[in-house]
Amino acid sequence: MSAASALAAASAVGLPCGLRLALADLGRSEPYDISLKEYLLRLCLFAAWILLASAFAGPARALDSKEIYQLNEDRVFQVRVLNRETGKKSSIGSGFIVADGSRLATNYHVISQVILEPELFYISFIGNNGQEGELKLLGLDVAHDLALLGADHRLGEAIEMSPLPPRGAPIFAMGNPLDLGLSIAVGTNGGILNQTDDSRILFSGSLNPGMSGGPTFNARGEAIGINVATARNDISFIVPSRFLSALIEKSNSDSYGADTDLKEEVARQALAYENRYIEQLLESDWPSLDLRQLKLPGVISPTVRCWDNSAKLSAAARYKRYQIRCTNQNHVYLDEDNRFVGRLLYEYYWLESEDLNAIQFYNLYESLNKDQVDAELDRDMVSNFNCETWFIEVSSQQMKSNLCRREYVEYRGMSDVLFTAALTGHQDRGFFITLILTGVDYRATLPLIRKFLENTEWIP
Amino acid sequence: MDSLILEISTRGLHRYEPIEAEVTTLGRALDNDIILSDPTVAPHHLKIIRHQDGRLELVNLAAVNPTRVETLPIDTRELTRLPAGIEIGRVHLQLLARDNPVAETRPLAGNGRRGHLFGHPYWAILLALICICVGALDFHLNFYTSFKWSDLFKYVLRETVLTIGAFVLALSILERLLVNRWEMKQLLTSVCLVYLLFEGASVLAFGLDYLLSASWPGTLFHFGWYLAIIPAAIAIYLINISHIKRGRSIVLALLIASPIAAPSILQSPEMQALLDDFSSSASYHNRLSYLNWHLRDTVSIDRFIEQAHGLEPGEIAD
Repeated sequence: MSAASALAAASAVGLPCGLRLALADLGRSEPYDISLKEYLLRLCLFAAWILLASAFAGPARALDSKEIYQLNEDRVFQVRVLNRETGKKSSIGSGFIVADGSRLATNYHVISQVILEPELFYISFIGNNGQEGELKLLGLDVAHDLALLGADHRLGEAIEMSPLPPRGAPIFAMGNPLDLGLSIAVGTNGGILNQTDDSRILFSGSLNPGMSGGPTFNARGEAIGINVATARNDISFIVPSRFLSALIEKSNSDSYGADTDLKEEVARQALAYENRYIEQLLESDWPSLDLRQLKLPGVISPTVRCWDNSAKLSAAARYKRYQIRCTNQNHVYLDEDNRFVGRLLYEYYWLESEDLNAIQFYNLYESLNKDQVDAELDRDMVSNFNCETWFIEVSSQQMKSNLCRREYVEYRGMSDVLFTAALTGHQDRGFFITLILTGVDYRATLPLIRKFLENTEWIP
Repeated sequence: MDSLILEISTRGLHRYEPIEAEVTTLGRALDNDIILSDPTVAPHHLKIIRHQDGRLELVNLAAVNPTRVETLPIDTRELTRLPAGIEIGRVHLQLLARDNPVAETRPLAGNGRRGHLFGHPYWAILLALICICVGALDFHLNFYTSFKWSDLFKYVLRETVLTIGAFVLALSILERLLVNRWEMKQLLTSVCLVYLLFEGASVLAFGLDYLLSASWPGTLFHFGWYLAIIPAAIAIYLINISHIKRGRSIVLALLIASPIAAPSILQSPEMQALLDDFSSSASYHNRLSYLNWHLRDTVSIDRFIEQAHGLEPGEIAD
């Protein structure tokens, strides 16, 4: 243990001031002019402190999950959305004490139902020690799925936050899985995921429903992030604590009042994030990929992953088709109806045949030209699509294009956009591009569509 | 005194009995002059008396279901004019004078000429073979894998032979019920003509879709086919082949077409869009054509983006 870390550890557990001063002295580097007796005395004093430190100064060394649990069991709560009429839980998550001790951090998706239907639901908490009460919403970070809640009294000591430990280090997620009681899951840090726009940490451990919003600790018992999602066994995701720190700081000067239109705030934040994202895409240079006779935009952002999606054809097929599908990973949770927005999907489809005649080829080509936004949303969520058709000249070729747009009923200014463009004028070759963006500002997407078309090059 | 004719109608069938004797009795009993074997007819139901002075008198003999003349029940009734409608139970009679005018003679379909489409079974067989060829062409144009005779056979059997066969069978049964005749050769010819018309018109409608970059030609064709063309074809058949009266043919055509039209129309995307004012899917113009004939101008990317700014979102459903 270094002197500095020993000092920090001493500070954390509140060692007596005299001992801390003694420890501080040990940190000096210049030689002392002291007697042997005094030297031996100091040596004994140091040895005594070491013994004491080993006995009491827990956080300065690597804690195990049991110790982290015991340290935080009264600082991690179940956050619940309750129906005002029945008093029963509609959804549950977890939260933990931050800032001045009267605030709880959780995920936005844990409490989003209250934003959609505030007259029907409210937020409350219940602790392991039986402490419970109502919470009010103080701040939101929709893009990073965070919410800050306030209680009307101090709940306990705030959990300290810390940056991410090295990749591979053990980390511990606490929460209330499946309403079964507070528990802790052990895993390792998989590092920041750049495909999520740096907003997610990979946690190689198991998060379960109900743990969302709970803290993820490093081995010193400091919160390095907030549990947010799981993909499958032992692949889970954490929001880095720096976004929570920023939200706490923002809410100190700008917390929500009774007159805040929260749906508008959600839309504003989501759109601001998407607009920034689209701007980044427009500013960056796009690598290209080759698909038969076309040079096309490739992986246009670290957030995007492209996959070959070419379906295996039977040996009897008299045509060839090549399909590349690219999607981003940084989707934004929108509301209780499980809508995620911020989806960017672009797909290329090349079709060719030497055996089919022109009528056969176009019958096949047309049957494949039917991409849709695959989000099944209800009438009370979105408007109908409105579509318009153009024939556009792209790199000396003609493309029959459709642009469709629908808007979100409850989130002003938010749209889903579907753009398709099919190559025309060739008897035995076809190509279409589909570009889908969800939950975006419609006008912000047009420069992106333009850039896609301008970066599409026909190779004769 | 001129003799009279009694027209007896039962379930659409007519038979004619001369009334020549002074007294003619009608009823279910076997000692009547005219025996009507309907359970609603009394054993002795009606007596028709032809007086020497030319008067014609009807005498009701039935206690149950008494005789009605021109819908009114009678005990004794002297007829002053002919024709006269009489009901005995549920049997309809009409008393007619011998010189009662009859409708004009309807010509046989195709005037009975062998060269006419409806004039000989060979034409029906030829048209059926053409339909099978069109079905095979349809298969050829819509299958993109290596050719297999079994695939062709299954497709043509399902899409052409069974379709045409089902229509011919259903319509012939209806025709039998309606006019008590089997007109298989005319029916097969008619169904084949309608099938070929459908194949040709659908190609034309979809071509127009692409030409105009609009979906209304296809939609109009789809609705028009089931709501107008199929009933019209059936009505024309009933009028000219089955020789049913025009008004009745139209009503019958609508009734016969409705079981075909209703599911096809109700399940069509266009009708779904009309019935439901909301769809989660984008209905865009995805038609493609190797001819690439279109009336829309081809625009530059700049022009497209400029015009795209004006695209509004769709309607919000109630």
